[in-house]
Amino acid sequence: MSEDSSSSEETNTPTTSVSQDTSTAETTAITTSAFNMHPETPSSSSSFSTHLAIQSLSSILTTVSPSLLSQDQDPAFYLLHNPDISSQVSSLLRLPDSGAGDNNLCRWFYDTFQSSEPQLQLVVLRFLPIIAGLYLSRVALKKPLAGFEAVLLAIYAHETTSRAGQAVTVNVPDLSYPSIYHESKRPAKDNDAADLNLAVISPSLEPHGTVRSTRRARIVGVALELYYSKISLMPVGSKIDFCEFCKVWSGQEGHELQDDEDNVEFQDNQGNADKESVIKEGRIALPWELLQPVSRILGHCLLGPTKDEELIGSASAACKSLYSRSLHDINPHAILATRSLLRLSKMASDPKNNVDHTEIPMSDVISL
Amino acid sequence: MLCACSGEQFKFDEPPQSPESLATRDFSASGLSSRTTGDWESKLEDFQVDEAESTLKEALSLNYEEARALLGRLEYQRGNFDAALQVFQGIDIKGLAPKMINAIVERIQYRKPRSKGEIVPPSVMSMHSVSLLVEAILLKAKSLEELSQYREAAKECGIILDILESALPNGIPEGIDEDCKLEEMFHKALELLPALWTNAGLLDEAIASYRRVLIRPWNLNPQKLAGVQKELASILLYSAVEATLPPQLQLWGLASPQSNIEEAILLLLVLMSKVASGEIKWDGEIMDHLTYALSIVGQFELLAEHVEQALPGIYNRAERWYLLALCYTAAGQNEAALNLLKKVSGCSESKNKPHIPSFLLGAKLCSQDPMHAHEGISFARKVLDLADNHNQHFIGQVHKFLGVCHGNAARISLSDSERVLLHRESLNSLNNAALNRKEDPEVMYSLGLENMLQRNLGVAFENAIVCTEMMAGNSVKGWKLLALVVSAEQRFKDAQTVVEFALDEAGRIDQFELLRLKAILQIAQEQPKQAIETYRILLSLIQAQRDNQAKNPEQSHIFKSEVLAERNLELAAWQDLAHIYTKIGSWSDAKICVDKAKFMEFHSPRSWHVTGMLFEAQSLHKEALVSFSIALSVEPDYVPSIVATAEVLMKLGTQSFSIARSFLMHALRLDPTNHEAWLNLGLISKMEGSLKQAAEFFQAAHELQLSAPIQSFL
Repeated sequence: MSEDSSSSEETNTPTTSVSQDTSTAETTAITTSAFNMHPETPSSSSSFSTHLAIQSLSSILTTVSPSLLSQDQDPAFYLLHNPDISSQVSSLLRLPDSGAGDNNLCRWFYDTFQSSEPQLQLVVLRFLPIIAGLYLSRVALKKPLAGFEAVLLAIYAHETTSRAGQAVTVNVPDLSYPSIYHESKRPAKDNDAADLNLAVISPSLEPHGTVRSTRRARIVGVALELYYSKISLMPVGSKIDFCEFCKVWSGQEGHELQDDEDNVEFQDNQGNADKESVIKEGRIALPWELLQPVSRILGHCLLGPTKDEELIGSASAACKSLYSRSLHDINPHAILATRSLLRLSKMASDPKNNVDHTEIPMSDVISL
Repeated sequence: MLCACSGEQFKFDEPPQSPESLATRDFSASGLSSRTTGDWESKLEDFQVDEAESTLKEALSLNYEEARALLGRLEYQRGNFDAALQVFQGIDIKGLAPKMINAIVERIQYRKPRSKGEIVPPSVMSMHSVSLLVEAILLKAKSLEELSQYREAAKECGIILDILESALPNGIPEGIDEDCKLEEMFHKALELLPALWTNAGLLDEAIASYRRVLIRPWNLNPQKLAGVQKELASILLYSAVEATLPPQLQLWGLASPQSNIEEAILLLLVLMSKVASGEIKWDGEIMDHLTYALSIVGQFELLAEHVEQALPGIYNRAERWYLLALCYTAAGQNEAALNLLKKVSGCSESKNKPHIPSFLLGAKLCSQDPMHAHEGISFARKVLDLADNHNQHFIGQVHKFLGVCHGNAARISLSDSERVLLHRESLNSLNNAALNRKEDPEVMYSLGLENMLQRNLGVAFENAIVCTEMMAGNSVKGWKLLALVVSAEQRFKDAQTVVEFALDEAGRIDQFELLRLKAILQIAQEQPKQAIETYRILLSLIQAQRDNQAKNPEQSHIFKSEVLAERNLELAAWQDLAHIYTKIGSWSDAKICVDKAKFMEFHSPRSWHVTGMLFEAQSLHKEALVSFSIALSVEPDYVPSIVATAEVLMKLGTQSFSIARSFLMHALRLDPTNHEAWLNLGLISKMEGSLKQAAEFFQAAHELQLSAPIQSFL
């Protein structure tokens, strides 16, 4: 699916090809079921809100042709994957005062997300990396951020509602019980709740009407959790935006990491006394509540099914920066997570680990 | 050996299923050579086709599908995937599948008694035919793969699994077929199918097919099986496509994984147990996947177990200790981590290259616990001694830890001269760190804290302001420091404003702490009523939170640290309340609060201390002394009780002045900034008539009181 999506972003013409049409249909099916809101195919009301969203966006952007409304292609899909729109929106977002409360684009994001139209929400999530990235980096600069905060709070509220505020937990497997993948001498005991070893992936959520500064990282983290859950529907460009911001957030170039033969160890560049060259602008505090969803997203970008070279390059640079930062902060959670990701991505890119075991041995002799 | 046992033999001139008569056409050499160029190639091709032709001619009874299978393979091997596909498409697999299933079932049924020469019922397809056909399907799938038609390829490949699964619902018994290639082909299909779905971008199908491969015993060799398990774990971890187990696979009750990450961890744990038992060889990739997965779910103790289980030789000693220390630190077991890190810096490793990350982690851990101050200094010094171009980056960080540890060491030092030295060292290091790590608010925090503790309030105020700016509200500790510094300047109202502001921004636990700080500030401003109201709010919030947690008893272990923090705050709140009521003279209320506190924590020195204060306020000196001595028997260095004991002793008459003085001197050795101790020393001196000395003591007490923070920070 993501393959299709990413490739269709490259074909930036609005002309519909057969392959695009099929992937559009699939996107619809997947997103609607994923959001669990409108299981039926896009109804007239949903397409109405989509058109409304496009109309109001065209008043903000210069080159969104209203003509695309007449396309028989799904307009929400078009919004999500059109590179012209993406680049315009992201350059508008990156303007110095874009986060203000009266910013049109932020308002558009807010309204669009509030439309509860799953596909339109995906369009908002597509720009979440830039919104969250700029937001956190600008906090220290005392720039107006109410617009960004409104969007982030809307996403946070959506997630709080859909989870009913509950924590997301996993049951850590215990090998002394047999499972579908292994046998065990101990008989399976059902409903033995005392033996459950629950681990929290995401703690319970309290409703927040405003962004309290101490909850800022958590609110952005929860928004990133939602982004992660939809990441397979995101165009590659959005994921690359995310990786770029990871580097900015870390405030670390990651150059001092030197690849040993089998290990990723850290070392300073010899003779690089110019420490100030390290990017510090945009460096933010990286508590685990933020780094955990970040690591999950990076894991997908590095080792997920989308084998896009640019994305992998960008993700591995981000991972190096974060690893370097975690070494400087001496943050054990982050060191363990980013270190293992870096090592895995090294192994994945090593050609000797990519042997096709299903290859049929070639021979000139026909044996029967 | 060519077999013709299918019972439905076709002559080449009358292929029934293919209207285009592909077999006859493709069988000519010209059909085969359509793509190849070059002399060698054409020779090879001639040779091959000749061989094929002659072989086939020899056995004219070769059936139609078999011939197609052979031809297709020939085309496939030559890289003519289009042509191969065309040939394979002429085989009606759907029609043949029941016969193939039947053949396999028959073979299994008669396997044991049957000997080589025994005759199979004539209607049953031979195993050779079956494996030839399975190979044909496999090659068809591979041809489609080569042509990038992954979805079609996956569907074809899936047919092989369908056939084998219907024939062998319980998996492959060991050694089903030694003499033909069926099993080998099948195994290849097993590995190919998920890869094809992955390439087709249909990840849920890929995951489903991995599970199909893994839930039945297919006699894959252990290394290959492990490979499939690893791939499934990887796709579950990184695909971000939630694919829960279908209900028919959830046969294991609670042990059955409920989410991708659970299933991935289960697979990785199974793999690790295979590694541990020697069934498969060590694979760093498995360990790294597991590290990642367990980091995400925060199961660092479990991770530590697996690092410990790794056989010798996989990690060198220092590396293993370091990894373990990281796990234990992440799991909150700092002492265990520190013990390991001491080993890394110990003499057994003196010949190896020094492991700087371990020293850094050691210094960090030591800086968090005053009891390890001196070890922290030695860890930090080690890094500084090794500092060259390789680790310039860490200098700022090291100075920070060094400064914090020096400060902590000063606090536990009993010698005045040493304390002065350590204080100076501490500020030097922290100032140095502040130069090196401008971007780190923690440095500014430590510097401000140290300055406050050393009563350099002006500088501490500046540091605290910078620190709160840098933290941008990420944590309330900056504000808390600022509030305390301001309170030390006796600006209680301003301090309360800072606390109120922080309260607006704080999360739950922080809020509780700030509420207590607010109440203490209200006491300092002599507003006991407001303070009592603040405590009332604090206690009801804690109770509400506790009720909330009681609703999810299964998650209780997750909130362990929160619950502990809440409990400590509640205890402190009752003790504070007892103190207030004692001060305003409502004995009965004070008694209730004391009893509450003692009921919560009988062995808390502070509970006994406030009990003593209550008795003392009622002029029950003996009872008070008993209470203070209980407090001191729990914690001999509990300074407030030492001072209070001295105060009571002073009231008992001049004969106990010397004992009182020795108590006070002891208190000052432990805490030289305790203004009450100075004050009481002054009182004794005054009563003894040495007025000049008394004046000096009073002077000290006054100055210290004017710069005392409202709440101890340590």
